[in-house]
Amino acid sequence: MKLEHSFTVPAELETVWQAVLDPERVAPCMPGATLTEVTGDTFKGSVKVKLGPISLLYKGNGEFLEKDDAAHKVTIKASGKDSRGAGTAAATVTLTLTEADGGTHGTVASELSITGKPAQFGRGLISEVGGKILDTFATCLAARLAPAEAPDLTVVKDPPASEPPTPAASTPAASTAAAASAAAEAAVASAASEAAAAVAADHAEAKETGRKAGEATAAHAPPATKPKLAPAPEPETEPIDLLSYAGPSLLKRAAPLLALVAAILAFVTLRRRHR
Amino acid sequence: MIPAAFDYVAPSTVDDAVRALSEAGEDAKVIAGGQSLLPVLRMRLAAPSKLIDLGRVAALRGVREEGDFLVIGSMTTHYDVQHDPLIRDHATLLALATDMVGDPQIRHRGTFGGSLAHADPAADLPAVALALDAEMVVRGMDGTRTVPAAEFFTDFFTTALRPTEILVEVRVPKMTGWSAHYEKFNRVAQAWAIVAVAAAVRVSDGAIAEARVGLTNMASVPVRATAVEQALVGQPATAESIRAAAAHAAEGTSPPSDGNADTAYRQHLAQVLTSRAVAAAAGV
Repeated sequence: MKLEHSFTVPAELETVWQAVLDPERVAPCMPGATLTEVTGDTFKGSVKVKLGPISLLYKGNGEFLEKDDAAHKVTIKASGKDSRGAGTAAATVTLTLTEADGGTHGTVASELSITGKPAQFGRGLISEVGGKILDTFATCLAARLAPAEAPDLTVVKDPPASEPPTPAASTPAASTAAAASAAAEAAVASAASEAAAAVAADHAEAKETGRKAGEATAAHAPPATKPKLAPAPEPETEPIDLLSYAGPSLLKRAAPLLALVAAILAFVTLRRRHR
Repeated sequence: MIPAAFDYVAPSTVDDAVRALSEAGEDAKVIAGGQSLLPVLRMRLAAPSKLIDLGRVAALRGVREEGDFLVIGSMTTHYDVQHDPLIRDHATLLALATDMVGDPQIRHRGTFGGSLAHADPAADLPAVALALDAEMVVRGMDGTRTVPAAEFFTDFFTTALRPTEILVEVRVPKMTGWSAHYEKFNRVAQAWAIVAVAAAVRVSDGAIAEARVGLTNMASVPVRATAVEQALVGQPATAESIRAAAAHAAEGTSPPSDGNADTAYRQHLAQVLTSRAVAAAAGV
């Protein structure tokens, strides 16, 4: 079965391409995936997905078939098997990035094949749910790539990989910007006041560590909203458990997930026949 | 297949059930009538480590009147809903639609609350709850809250229920004197609806004074056909005016495409079935 999805991210092509290759940026956007091993262009992992009462754990592996830096095109092949024997899923996913007005456009072409019980029943939700998952992913990615990081005034640090990821709304970027402007205002408006002096002092002291400056600034800034990560509107998934790995691409997670999405939807259909 | 092994708890009060659920954590699942969950367990598409059975919580069963509302316990079986005199008199649409749920065996075990909490987009009762403007009373460890139907169904198989909350009862505003009809379209007997329409109208002096129309399986959640409802108000209860109003049924919808029907067909079905449902409800 073939699926086509696309998304747009308001960031430059090269930025997105690099981000896609930088797991720290995008991994939290791919819920439920765990990478257990990365060896060059091959990887092993699992994806856990919950949709309503169903909970499936697909374990499998995949590899990069193609990585084209010039055309910004990546092809990944992945296959997984449900740990409880519900069936298998295999996917070949091709992601192509192109420039779009004010950003980057990504198209994802997937070829899915499902076997096992779910494969016997086709309710056709695969495309819908797959599309929604990709939308959620793209929104999360867009938020994380939104260019709003001021070097010395980063109030928000992306949570370390071990923390439970939830797709970030635009609040990280927003609060960074808010804190930055608030600090600037505070500094300018009260040039002669102690507060300003304190801020300036903090700035001077902590210039090397942007984070510290950010924190100091935040202390003086009017309520900078603590970045609140909104829960995914989509199928619930468990936190990603990121183990250390080197330079894997976002797609390494995308492929198992997509393959798995197909299986989930297949489940939905199988109940039909069962009734 | 048989389900994977699980621990089983059958509390007798709602508080015990809520406590058991919050203690058990993420890997627990509430089981009501089991008519949707048991097949999932049998197919091993889920393997919760603990099942919390609400079957012994007597407080969750039964239908009572509370002023302008009917209060239906979440564990009331479909069979009891079908045969309850209060529901027949004050929420006819619910009784009629429940007649069409599954088959008699399913209706004897399956529950009203269970069907709502499961939130299958092709299930009949969520669309009815939406059309009736029902309110879901939900209890968790931090107390009770009420969620209107319009906010309860959020996505495929997903509701506003938090993981440690239980749907306790459903408050349905009385619609005494309204007439209703549930039009369900499927090709296989007792299968899920390809598209279905829940219609309730209040006819007065040969004209439609008020209307409610809910659509099943036109999206990942039930949908209210508000354009149709507005078009019907004040119209004479005749076949032509109903058909004209029903032409708005698919407005704003983007129904799924699957092996049973594609998007365009579903939109067409919505119009035809809405026309039939409203006409039948209005006695035309």
